[in-house]
Amino acid sequence: MQRIVAKDISKTFHTGLRDAGVLATILFLFSGGYKKKSIDAINSVSFECSPGEVVGLIGRNGCGKSTLLRLISGIYEKDEGSLEINGRAMYINGFGIGLNQRLTMRENIYLVGAILGISRKEIAAKIPEIVEFSGLADFLDTKIFQFSSGMSARLGFSAVTSFVAERRPSIILLDEVFEAGGDAEFQKRAIGKMEDFLKGDATVMLVSHQTNVIRKYCPRTILLEKGRVLADGDTEEVVKKYEGFLASLPTGDI
Amino acid sequence: MRPLFRKIGETVRLGFSLAKTNFKLRNEGNYLGVAWYLLVPLSLFVIILLVRHAAFSDTGIEHYPVYLLIGITGFNFFRQTISLSISAIHTNGGFIKSLNGISLEAFVLSQFIESVFSHAFELALVVGAMAYFGLPIAWVIFYPLVFLTFAPFVLGLSLLFAAGGTYMRDFENVWNIAGQLLFFATPIFYVARPESFAYSANLFNPLFYFLSMARDVMLYRTVPSLWMIATLFGAGIAVLFLGMGVFGKYKGRFSELV
Repeated sequence: MQRIVAKDISKTFHTGLRDAGVLATILFLFSGGYKKKSIDAINSVSFECSPGEVVGLIGRNGCGKSTLLRLISGIYEKDEGSLEINGRAMYINGFGIGLNQRLTMRENIYLVGAILGISRKEIAAKIPEIVEFSGLADFLDTKIFQFSSGMSARLGFSAVTSFVAERRPSIILLDEVFEAGGDAEFQKRAIGKMEDFLKGDATVMLVSHQTNVIRKYCPRTILLEKGRVLADGDTEEVVKKYEGFLASLPTGDI
Repeated sequence: MRPLFRKIGETVRLGFSLAKTNFKLRNEGNYLGVAWYLLVPLSLFVIILLVRHAAFSDTGIEHYPVYLLIGITGFNFFRQTISLSISAIHTNGGFIKSLNGISLEAFVLSQFIESVFSHAFELALVVGAMAYFGLPIAWVIFYPLVFLTFAPFVLGLSLLFAAGGTYMRDFENVWNIAGQLLFFATPIFYVARPESFAYSANLFNPLFYFLSMARDVMLYRTVPSLWMIATLFGAGIAVLFLGMGVFGKYKGRFSELV
């Protein structure tokens, strides 16, 4: 049985006056100056992924890579098409997870663990591993507004990956995790941790702007452009197509 | 049925964890810490008492300070829960956008639990006042029953306001105005005499029933009538289901709005 079966899925975001408030919206509507805008973030995308498969997802900024992973993980709801997910999916991003700046590192670990449904006992047992992996042992009881952005990224990544491993997901969605903050030494450890995920039976979808990373870990790659699948197949061929596509664009469009 | 109970269990557990964190954050960096839970209603109590005393020498209400305190603490619980719930989803936007499989209801539940906790602190003021005026404190043991009758209504309304506040930030301002209106419309610092306009209007106000029952047990030492308990609890359960339904219908889009 396939782990992910997507058939013609689409997702549109409506932009414009969403945050403007009711009064402003009404005034704009009556003035005639308001034009409803929408962005087709994902447009009739179809693909399948089997157990143990590692699939790369590449494309320019704003082409819909993160949106697609969020649709698969259930963070976003699709507008059209059918999406069949067989197994537990976990989404991990490298941009930070909204840690609370006024809490200490220890308190944030408990908070993230609780949100992910991990019991306090299991969280307590995981803390030494997270502390060691993040390399932030001296800052366990420091509030994270005093952390640098790299330290925050290390903490977020360490906590989420540790808890994700605990839940043994069958689908792992990695959103630019290799671009996670931190120094070169931490990046090396982070890659090691990701390799552990890639070795298992889980289906992995990996978003990255680093084509060398995609080449190294993904036998198959999907190229997205403006929410549509431009290519899906052997990584070497798809990456070459992507590089050719980038080269054909005027400098300002890349 | 088992997955449903498991889901409810997870939501309640996460709700308590988040409430604990919220409580810590609320007192973080405050020199007076939890004392603020008492100082805010106490200051309002003193202001109303002074104004009332200056305007009318005799309020005609037996043990007026206790009457007033029950009104203020009950209303505070209601207003605070709704206020916190309106921004519950936006406040936790970072988690909602980057972690999947989390129960969004738990973010609202945590605000409700936090308000229950601060209400318990405020209740200490009522008990203190009861002791000061020589009222038997033992009757306070019936208050949790009255509170439980009202709680489903507040939780249901919190879910409705949380969903609305996520879609429209105006809800916060609308509630600020509605909350003030409700404060003056509800017999918190006055009595709604039968056959008066205030009494007729308050027949549609669930807060009126809640405060009346709270005063019945703590101030007048009488057990509330069964129809009042049944009406308030029944309406509360209906509002809770409505809140759960509306929140459940719209929560799929929350991650796009935060």
